[in-house]
Amino acid sequence: MIRNTRMKRLSIVSALVAAGSMLVSSVPALAADPGVTATEIKLGITSPKTGTVALSYGKLPRAMKAYFDYINDNGGVYGRKIKLISRDDKYLPQLAATQTRNLVLSDKVFAIVGALGTATHSKAYVAAQLAKNNVPDLFVNTGFSGFDDKAKYPTTFLVLPSYAMEAKIIAKLIADTPTMKPMPSFLIAQDDEFGKDGVKGFALAGHKFTSNPTLYPQGSLTAALAESLLSGVNAAVPAAAKPVMVLMGTTDSTALILKAAEKLSLTSRFTWIAGSVGGDANTLLALGVKPATIEGAYAASFFPDAKDSTDAYVSQFMKINEKYNKGDSFDNVVLQGMNSAMLTVQSLRAAGKNLTRAGLIKAIESKGAGFASAGLAPLNYSATSRVGYNGYWFGQLNAKGELKPVGGKVTLYTTDSTSTAAPVLSSFTRKPLPKNGIPTNQ
Amino acid sequence: MKTLKLKKSLVALTSAALVSVFAVAIPSTANAVTTCVQEAITVNGKNVDYEKCTGTDFRGSKYEIRMPSKFNGTMMLYSHGIRYNVDLPPIPVVAPTGLARNFAPEIAPTQEVGELLLSQGFALAGAGVQIQGWNVTEQVYAALEVNAIARDKYSKIDKVVAWGNSLGALSTQALAEQYSGLFDAVGAMCYSDSALSEITMAGDFLWGVKTFFDPTIKLAGYSAGTAGYLEMLGDIGKVLVVFQSIEAAITANPISPTWPATSTVPAALKALPVRSAVLMLGLMSGISTQSTTFDASSGPAGALETGFGLLINPALAVLENGSTAALLGVVAGYDLEQRAGGIIFDNSNTDYVARLGADADTYAAALSGQSLGIAGMGAYLNRLNPAAPRVKSDPAAVAKIKQIYEPKGAITVPTITITATADQVTPPGATQYLIDQYTSAVSGGSATKGMLVNIWNKPADEYTKFSATGSPIKPTVATNGTTHCNFTTSQYMAIAKLLGASAKSGKAPTASAVNAAIKNDPNLFVDANYRAPLLKYRQ
Repeated sequence: MIRNTRMKRLSIVSALVAAGSMLVSSVPALAADPGVTATEIKLGITSPKTGTVALSYGKLPRAMKAYFDYINDNGGVYGRKIKLISRDDKYLPQLAATQTRNLVLSDKVFAIVGALGTATHSKAYVAAQLAKNNVPDLFVNTGFSGFDDKAKYPTTFLVLPSYAMEAKIIAKLIADTPTMKPMPSFLIAQDDEFGKDGVKGFALAGHKFTSNPTLYPQGSLTAALAESLLSGVNAAVPAAAKPVMVLMGTTDSTALILKAAEKLSLTSRFTWIAGSVGGDANTLLALGVKPATIEGAYAASFFPDAKDSTDAYVSQFMKINEKYNKGDSFDNVVLQGMNSAMLTVQSLRAAGKNLTRAGLIKAIESKGAGFASAGLAPLNYSATSRVGYNGYWFGQLNAKGELKPVGGKVTLYTTDSTSTAAPVLSSFTRKPLPKNGIPTNQ
Repeated sequence: MKTLKLKKSLVALTSAALVSVFAVAIPSTANAVTTCVQEAITVNGKNVDYEKCTGTDFRGSKYEIRMPSKFNGTMMLYSHGIRYNVDLPPIPVVAPTGLARNFAPEIAPTQEVGELLLSQGFALAGAGVQIQGWNVTEQVYAALEVNAIARDKYSKIDKVVAWGNSLGALSTQALAEQYSGLFDAVGAMCYSDSALSEITMAGDFLWGVKTFFDPTIKLAGYSAGTAGYLEMLGDIGKVLVVFQSIEAAITANPISPTWPATSTVPAALKALPVRSAVLMLGLMSGISTQSTTFDASSGPAGALETGFGLLINPALAVLENGSTAALLGVVAGYDLEQRAGGIIFDNSNTDYVARLGADADTYAAALSGQSLGIAGMGAYLNRLNPAAPRVKSDPAAVAKIKQIYEPKGAITVPTITITATADQVTPPGATQYLIDQYTSAVSGGSATKGMLVNIWNKPADEYTKFSATGSPIKPTVATNGTTHCNFTTSQYMAIAKLLGASAKSGKAPTASAVNAAIKNDPNLFVDANYRAPLLKYRQ
């Protein structure tokens, strides 16, 4: 009798297991990690949506959402729709920490994507215990090379080339350009990890500025200070010389300096080189810089020009933006947001149907370097590297805000953040755009 | 059922044995004269009758016990937080009408909480310790006495929950660890770290105030007797003048406020906005960058919104919190020196720039940059700078303070902590240290696994309010999640309810029970992975 009962129970259990197996084979398995169900993947982002920095970066989460909506309308990722929860951190460290914690604890997101800023995200990463919770921290929008420290940020993947890389490549640009090489050169940069990383890069490249770099605290650069700095350099350099002025700060700081130059009638006195963070032409123009001022200024990019609709990626993203992100004009920030969203989709696909946080991290480490993307530089993800793109090309802005490559052709150099090795001319060819911009990870 | 009975009798035996051991070590409580009266109150329209018993134990600590007529079997034994161990004359802000030392017994965190607990059938007990100041040892004895007196008088007391606020939480934990068989559950609210941890935080901040803003502040090495008392009062006055001066400077010019007239730092340092100096002192000593008014993020609507949030708001929070820390540094530092017979605070080898850690990056802008601000201020604060002399402690005095029992995390009964993430006096790192100790103790076998539950109390995401002209508005009620031991009645009651249930079951509340208890409170959260930074002394 007892045996019979046991057999009966066993057979019921077996039947349930078999039924369960059938279910498992037809829908994605339910993972134990938060933020994933059979029908949805919840992702989170903190970025400045309001406040003064929102003008520069406010489009980022909207662009990412637009791309995810496009993917959702085309079947999602293994049948799961992506839901992006966007929280406003105003580009402030404390708020970024709070909002990231909210994303993890209250919203229970599966992963953080596209978080923006160095000071903000470094505080948020620790405060929200992303490492301890093993929350994937994908495609962080900062060039601070310190995020490549896997021991400190074990779940983080960078996307932007580092500021140190950028500085090394700017140093090469100066050295390789006959009109710049003999001229006095100056650096105005943020007095934080951003500027420090840049100064490190110039030192690695062996570039010596005419005077010590001028460093200012973020948010503290005033019009008066900018005018004073430019006046000082103007007075110190012979009139016959055309000094090189490198600007490594956020776009609002670049705008302040350029407007100071306008006020002092010094716009043509300098050869301007704006770092990638502060060199977005559309934002500069929106901040009131005159088109004539930016014309001829050098700026760095690892993307195609956001205005180049002949580029397959740009063209596809423009279409998506038109349909899913009405009201936002297409620019570098939108391009960056959509590209990071596309990388995210490939990462989720690479992790497989049985989606886990650990599996996602492992998938990027093993397959991330081969993801399709709009970037013209290679991605460098591996088991030991969290570096995203590692190269830049330089162009000159025209009055319309287009970035035209120096010499008429994109020449991209790659490098690292730590060695004195000179940047190397890249032969990298990016993967073609997946059909209709929908990755299949083929 | 049989096993349960056996366990219960074992606990009773153990408790009795401990009491008798204690009675051997310490004179009996039998000499205490307890006076009882019948009282009644109305709570939420309900009449609550209770017997109120008061007395003074043989050491001189006053005590009070309230036993409701409808007793539920559990007594809540409360230990109060730190009180000044000196009388203060009228001092603006600190004690506008003067302050006499307070030895009154406290039976609950607030009167309202006490009355609600009585109405729910809990008995209440607590002491007013005969020696105030850093009185962990005396408070443990006082709590033991009142517990024994209550149990002697009311044999119907079945369970006892020991709970306390701030220093009282530290004392309660010390009590529970040393006399574990006597208590069925423990509540540690706004838990304090040890004397040396706390005085290091307050002392570092006060030393920074002295070094940057007024080198005539004595800070340590107070004289004996009246002279020392007057020196201590003088320091309070000087600190207040400094803070008022900085507040006025920031109000006049938030972007580039000037330094107090009493400051003797070089002109190059004074070129920095004084708000950066205030923030530097806060970060290096571990004072929260969120206060009752300031959330470290918000700015007035308009062009200054982000800049205010980034550069000014965190510094104003430190200024608001720092006045408490500096005064604690003065009064508690003075008390500990008197108690130990020498200087306790020591910063002879402290590297204040290293102390900033990741905050150097996070707050680089508000600190006026890494090179100019942090390096510049750091150089002045450096121990090799003769203009910034360090303080060396007296080893014998420190040894004496170290003799005070410090909890080891040996938790064997259900224990619940509640901690505000922006408490400026007992920062959350104090509780974190207890958690770390407990984890080690579990591994080492001296604590029971699964007995500690930690509830965190955070402020709202953004809460600084501004007037139409852009001036910050100080809230009339302190912002929950900030300020010292600033819990709401419902938060206290949630903890009490969980403690009462745990005392009965012998088990820590389950995750679902805790979540149910806090689900309507957006400021409370439980996260096993949340980690608060330890106090700087522990880092």
